[in-house]
Amino acid sequence: MKTVDGDKAIEIADLVVRYGDRAVIDHLALTVRAGEVYGLLGGNGAGKSTTLQAILGFVRPSAGRVRVVGRDPASEPAEVRRAIAYIPENVALYEHLTARENIDYFLRLAGLRPVADEINKAFGTVGLAEEAWERRVSGFSKGMRQKTAIALAVLRRASVLLLDEPTSGLDPGATADFNALVSRLRGEGAAILIVTHDLIGVADIADRIGFLERGRISDEMVAEGPERFDLRALHNRFSRARAA
Amino acid sequence: MNALLREARFLLGLKSAVAAMVALFALTAVAVSAGLVEVARQEAAIARIGPQQASDVAAVTDWVSQGKDPGNAAYYTFHATSDPPSDLAFAAIGTRDVSPYVLRVRALGLEAQLYEGEIGNPEAALPGRFDFAFVLVYLAPLFVILLFHDLRSGEREAGRLRALEASVGAPSALWGARLTVRALGLFLALALPFFVGAFVAGTALWKVGAVLAVVLAYLAFWIVLCMVVARAARSSLANAMTLAAAWMTLTLIVPAIGHVAINSAIPLRQGMELGQTQRTAVHRAWDIPKSESMDAFFRTHPQWRNTAPLGEAFHWKWYFAFHQVGDELAGDLSRQYRQGVLERAAWSERLGLVTPGVATQLALHRLAATDPAAQIAYQDRIRAFHGELRRFYYPYLFEDRPFGRADFARAPEYRAAPAAGSWPVALLGGVVLMTALVGGIGFVRGRRVAS
Repeated sequence: MKTVDGDKAIEIADLVVRYGDRAVIDHLALTVRAGEVYGLLGGNGAGKSTTLQAILGFVRPSAGRVRVVGRDPASEPAEVRRAIAYIPENVALYEHLTARENIDYFLRLAGLRPVADEINKAFGTVGLAEEAWERRVSGFSKGMRQKTAIALAVLRRASVLLLDEPTSGLDPGATADFNALVSRLRGEGAAILIVTHDLIGVADIADRIGFLERGRISDEMVAEGPERFDLRALHNRFSRARAA
Repeated sequence: MNALLREARFLLGLKSAVAAMVALFALTAVAVSAGLVEVARQEAAIARIGPQQASDVAAVTDWVSQGKDPGNAAYYTFHATSDPPSDLAFAAIGTRDVSPYVLRVRALGLEAQLYEGEIGNPEAALPGRFDFAFVLVYLAPLFVILLFHDLRSGEREAGRLRALEASVGAPSALWGARLTVRALGLFLALALPFFVGAFVAGTALWKVGAVLAVVLAYLAFWIVLCMVVARAARSSLANAMTLAAAWMTLTLIVPAIGHVAINSAIPLRQGMELGQTQRTAVHRAWDIPKSESMDAFFRTHPQWRNTAPLGEAFHWKWYFAFHQVGDELAGDLSRQYRQGVLERAAWSERLGLVTPGVATQLALHRLAATDPAAQIAYQDRIRAFHGELRRFYYPYLFEDRPFGRADFARAPEYRAAPAAGSWPVALLGGVVLMTALVGGIGFVRGRRVAS
């Protein structure tokens, strides 16, 4: 993983995004550092997806500031997207292509030249079984698709990972594999933002957890000690956030 | 370039897209082949006239030379005219399947002869020809719709859109490359069989260039329309339905309504009616005093007034004179018919300015010289030739000069030459303007939606 200049890979300050008269993001402040996993929890309509869109430069802020690896996604979307690997909730690959062909296509899309050995190594890193490398992804499970997408992120040497509901629908074994993979990428210096409903899953892996309510962070908890988070407090806080 | 190669490789992996392009290629190839076969058939028919004409004239010459009667020569000698297909006719048969391209005329009244062409079964011509113009105007838009209706919405529905756009620096580069590769694929599916046809037919390079410009302009119109419809960000199914409705409206409904409206606004007498008017005058001449016909003839041909007077007996000069009077009586109708055909063509062209399919078809017919104007031009050439025939025979008839073997050799000959075709500038401009208009409306609407 490429390390980020400075500490703050994602920096959002006083961000406002309006759709018409409605402020979907309302003075949001959020920072994710290199080598950190940040869990962003929130109910439906809290503004999680819009936050991701703003980081990717797909929505233009009405006010405030977004910086990703020091660059403004609204004015330099190409440079920002080059640094980001975005993995949506349902990793949608091209069904008629094999895992390797998908990686090949997406790497070329990012302007990179695929090298077979590096792809093999990335598949090995993410734990995708060798027999699946040359198989069409139409028969892949959600976990296998995620591994393929993360292999792509590894190959792109993305310094920022945006993961949208990554563990939803994964069985416990696959979730554990996924968390191990995320820990590894964090160890290599990636800044990882996980947007999720999965309280337990994110508590296992996140260094900080922010609660998004009506477009702003209402509270933030930091992992401490071997237990990391007080799950009961986390649950109560999340319930309040969802009810808001 | 890398982006185009990447998208080309990607497109080649999509079975449905490849199948669509192969199907369009095959349809175009069949249409071009059918056009070449039809043109070869017409050329063979024209080529057969020469020897048959020679043997026919030889028989008449042998017989007439015995009596040396110029009336017999003028009456029994047929003179062949033909309208050879242009070097682009294979691509757009146009009116060549319903109007005669071979006509043998005599020095008799012309109007009745003009519409005696043998065109086979007219009902068989009703569905139109399956030629390159048909494939381009009616079928190619369906393939454009097939390949472009879900260009972006398909990715959105598959859940890949954001991941895709997040993977590439500028999303416009991705869509631009995808659009270009698909457009290029469709263009090649149309152009490659056309190139082969043009090579076989020996089509002039400027015409090949003009046809490619027409193809590009028409494809661009439909692609821009697909993009404008896609900007509404609805489902692929909704896009497909909207575009199918647009196809029906622009290629079937509007041209059909336009055709009916133009035909109602500019009624045309049938060619048979013109012939009948001329024939009625000719038949009436047998029942009225000869002097009546001759006086009418001398009014327009005073140079023959002082020739020998007619007696009671039959004389060829009276016969040919009342035929000419018959033509002159049908003259106004004939001019109206000619004017009406050209007016209808002009109004069709105006319709083409707002209907790209009509403009494209007319542009190809103009280039191939297979449009109504070319049909009228052939009739004009026949009229001019027929005038030469009359000027050749009348001195023999009115001055009672004998007509011998040497005179047959001096008779005028029709010189057939393929029509040149011309640049359809206004029609092509119409397609480009409509494309710009549709694109502009889409852009403005898109901005409104965005704001």
